[in-house]
Amino acid sequence: MNERTPEQELDAFFGPRPAEPDSRPRQKLGIVVGGSLSQGLDVKLDRATVIEGLAVGRYVVAHGRTGRRFFSIVTDVQLDALNPLIEKAPPETMHGTDDDDFLARVYRGTAVYGRIHVSPMLMLDAGDDEPKPVKTIPSHFRPVYTASEEEVGLIFGREEEPGYFYVGEPLEMEGVHVALDLHRFVERSAGVFGKTGTGKSFLTRMLLAGLVRENVAVNLVFDMHNEYGWKSQDESKQQVKGLSQLFPGRVVVFTLDEQSSRRRGSKVDGVIRIGYEQIEPEDVDSLANLMALSDVQVGALYFLRRRLGQGWVARLLDEHDPLAELESALERGTIHGGTLGAIQRKLGMFRRFDFLHPRAAEDPVRQLLDHLDGGINVVLEFGRYGNSLEAYLLVANYLTRRIHEHYVRRKEAAQGDVGSSGAGGQEPRPLVITIEEAHKFLDPAIARHTIFGTIARELRKYNVTLLIVDQRPSGIDPEIMSQIGTRVTCLLDDESDVRAVFAGISGANTLREVLARLDSRQQALMMGHAVPMPVVVKTRTYGPALYAELGLAAEGKNGAEATLARGRSLLRGDEGEVEI
Amino acid sequence: MTSQTIRVGRVLRAGTRGFAIGCAVMQPDIPAFGSFVRAEGLAPGSAIYGLIYDVSMEDDPLVRQIVSADPPEEVVRDQRRNRQIPIEVSVLAVGCAHDEDIRHCLPAQPPVTLDWLYQCTDEEVQAFTSAGNTYAFDYFRLVLDAREVPVDELLAASLRTAAASRAESERERFLIEAGRALVRLLSSDPVRLEGLLRRLSRL
Repeated sequence: MNERTPEQELDAFFGPRPAEPDSRPRQKLGIVVGGSLSQGLDVKLDRATVIEGLAVGRYVVAHGRTGRRFFSIVTDVQLDALNPLIEKAPPETMHGTDDDDFLARVYRGTAVYGRIHVSPMLMLDAGDDEPKPVKTIPSHFRPVYTASEEEVGLIFGREEEPGYFYVGEPLEMEGVHVALDLHRFVERSAGVFGKTGTGKSFLTRMLLAGLVRENVAVNLVFDMHNEYGWKSQDESKQQVKGLSQLFPGRVVVFTLDEQSSRRRGSKVDGVIRIGYEQIEPEDVDSLANLMALSDVQVGALYFLRRRLGQGWVARLLDEHDPLAELESALERGTIHGGTLGAIQRKLGMFRRFDFLHPRAAEDPVRQLLDHLDGGINVVLEFGRYGNSLEAYLLVANYLTRRIHEHYVRRKEAAQGDVGSSGAGGQEPRPLVITIEEAHKFLDPAIARHTIFGTIARELRKYNVTLLIVDQRPSGIDPEIMSQIGTRVTCLLDDESDVRAVFAGISGANTLREVLARLDSRQQALMMGHAVPMPVVVKTRTYGPALYAELGLAAEGKNGAEATLARGRSLLRGDEGEVEI
Repeated sequence: MTSQTIRVGRVLRAGTRGFAIGCAVMQPDIPAFGSFVRAEGLAPGSAIYGLIYDVSMEDDPLVRQIVSADPPEEVVRDQRRNRQIPIEVSVLAVGCAHDEDIRHCLPAQPPVTLDWLYQCTDEEVQAFTSAGNTYAFDYFRLVLDAREVPVDELLAASLRTAAASRAESERERFLIEAGRALVRLLSSDPVRLEGLLRRLSRL
């Protein structure tokens, strides 16, 4: 029998206990002994500093002679010796493991010592409270300390401030919270990268939860694997809550596959059906690679749309339709019979997609926009179609293209209002579109033709940005990658993926080691637009503690979850945050 | 540990780098290789510190005759107590002091001939090898630069003396700090350094 101790029972009810803030005094690590602004600084570690306690990615602060503080990140850890001969012929008694050996105690920190390489990123003048990009370096022999909680807060902002969301703890700084500036996060497209099994989905769900809680943007999530809307399972088969459960009333779940959603017990708010007559050649064009459509065949799609009208797809799929309008074109050779046949065969794939109907009762775009315009976040579950890349690409492109058009119109109208009356127009609420397997949308061959390439390139011009989740960033068009503002990167092995992630990031070379040494779970390197300097975080656990925190903020503090969260908070002694 | 001031001998000849003294008889541990010694300086309140690096006994014609004559025990003892030629003790100058201010450097002036040379007390050795709350090992450089002196042995012996002047609980820490100071000075010769450190580890 699997009995729990009273302590475990309490933990199960209250959720994991929050870690104690890092109250240790600031520790001097060593002194600056060399380096440059471009290559980073060399720091000789003090004898008392245990090199094994320092990991790449850790934050350190060098104190300059002028009172300036240089916020830096550890990019390499080395062992060094005063004389290389010592490395070649170490004293015999030091071959063992006896650390108390006299010779070992004498040599350690003098003849042999630890050394770290740090990259200065930001500097803060004495008396100033806004860090600036680093433009110089500290003098020789200036002390280097571990970063304090106050310094981390100074760099990243405080989670208590509106628009900030606690995403994790810096490396080896347990209890210190790194807050992400969500306003900046949505200002430009962002990416979550990492190889399979590194926790991309959990990280993305956590970021989305932050965006919903802080209400900095409205989200449209193309949920390929049904992980974000309603409950799903983590790798240990534990159930985790979806966004709709955490924010009832503020997140709605739509599905393409009603049966799958019902089987999984997912509470959906609507079913998306797309009519054949709503499909345009551009929607099929975006699938050209997957459907193996040649350039000629893609050109023919537009021709067929013109000739056959709005119902062109339905008619091409109708085996009994003689397609009389095409006879003259076939005779003249405007379109080749073989091309037409190939298109019909390839479009035949649409028959397998039950969400495609000859006629749809409702306009799916309108369904989504009604919610998005009202500030309600939308998760679109793909059900079994998540396994079909063609379905995912078709639907994501179809919906996004039209929603983007709607945003362009609204934005332009808002600008027009400003121009004509000066009274200020109704700007569309910022929209973040989350897509998975992004390299399939943003492949160099098709990125220029898909709506996602357009959105990534135009930045926030029309208040629409992307949150792309991908395991193969090298497959994404480099031009698009260079436009990704914030990059949250879990462990990546492949050299080309690592190179792609760092494209367009200054000082990227020094961060490669940091990325290569990330743990395979719950660690991510965050860099780019939303963070003042790169940071390795142990990402916060997506679990009861997060639910409780979000429950307090959710939907006017109603519902069983919120009540439970309030109770937990009260019992923990956080009365100040709760209104009873 | 000693706290009494003990005379070792009188200065025979002196220079800035070192001096030689003569003493009539040898007592247990006096004069001893590696001991810290002190001579009065000419200026009032000043002192010159040194390390004994050689103790030698010259022969004389009478001793030669006695050696070849197989003398009785009384004669041998008398010769030892009443030597015609004194025992010569070589001292390397490693520091000087004015009042309480001790510096590890060569003295401005050597001691004067026939001045007394004293064995340093434990307190004096501690004062010479301390600087505030830490230890002072700047005299290592003067020893390492000395010519015709068994440098490594002298350093090890002087550190043995300095460690012995301290409480037992402090000795290891003192020797480790001394070893670290030697690492800085001898890093270019790790084999020699290791040999010297091994001597210290066995103290």
